[in-house]
Amino acid sequence: MYADLDTAIDGAVDRHETRPALSAGARAMLPILAAYAPLGLLVGAHVASSDNPVAAWLSTWLIYGGAAQLAVLDVLAHGSGWVAAAIVGLLVNMRLAAFATAMHPEWRSAPVRLRVAAALMLTDAPWVVARNRTHGQREERRRYYLGAAISLFVLWPLMVSVGVLVGGRLEAAPVTSLLLPLTLGAVIVPQLRQRPAAVAMVAASCTAALTMHLSAGSALALAGLAGALGGLVTERVP
Amino acid sequence: MTVLLAVLVVGLGSLFLRLAPLLSTGRMPEKLTQAAGWAGLAVVAGISVRSVLLFQDRSVAGAPVLAAVSVAIGLVLAFRGRSVLVAVAVGGATYQVISAALAALT
Repeated sequence: MYADLDTAIDGAVDRHETRPALSAGARAMLPILAAYAPLGLLVGAHVASSDNPVAAWLSTWLIYGGAAQLAVLDVLAHGSGWVAAAIVGLLVNMRLAAFATAMHPEWRSAPVRLRVAAALMLTDAPWVVARNRTHGQREERRRYYLGAAISLFVLWPLMVSVGVLVGGRLEAAPVTSLLLPLTLGAVIVPQLRQRPAAVAMVAASCTAALTMHLSAGSALALAGLAGALGGLVTERVP
Repeated sequence: MTVLLAVLVVGLGSLFLRLAPLLSTGRMPEKLTQAAGWAGLAVVAGISVRSVLLFQDRSVAGAPVLAAVSVAIGLVLAFRGRSVLVAVAVGGATYQVISAALAALT
């Protein structure tokens, strides 16, 4: 019954013009894409220095997440083997399940092909950009997400590919390591205006600081858990 | 072969993590989707904090502190409504300028 209602609402919204939402999502991603460019070049440099550059380059699409891709390539570069690299990569990418679960209520009534497309292009920046947009109808917000996700999905592999060719020069500059926290932090920081989100992020930040000696995967899983608990508890407090 | 195996396992696993919740047709409990939202934000915050704390620059003493200050300046700008690009540019430039000044002094 709920699905029927959702479909009816979506059909009504479809009759309105929703295409601007797609381009609005892509436009919202533009500054993030510019900020991601040096990061893409850095990932490309790691790809170029890998034992198997072709497989590492393919991971741009297969893994599709800069943090997990860097973590996997780093573990492999230290000679820890594919099992350790796979575990770290999967732990880092576990957040994708949280993103997808959080998107579920909005996407439940969407056609399967759109849900598959949304899932394939799901990563940090489009998810947060779409989450920052709280107004508009469900269909409009979906298109906004797709606009943001498509722009990154098209340009990210291009950035990494350019990085394979020229990124080696960037590796020498330590400041490039700050581009990831600056970009991701700048995308999520507006959410601090909501109390549960602020508590979730502070709890996660403290957990990340306390667990910095652990592997990235374990530390981030604990940070996610602390954030989820913090957000839920805060929501219950009036 | 090692790289290819790792990439395939992480790639297929990531695909499952992305697809499974979105392809589920049943209604998920609201608390679960809310908690997932907070967890998602928390992990992104955790990635940022961890990157700063593990930051290394052999040319500057106290590089993680300087990195934290630079990132904080960028994030304050983003919080106050500046674009991501401005926040990243100012944070990065702050680090470059202060680290160059410190290197010149020592």
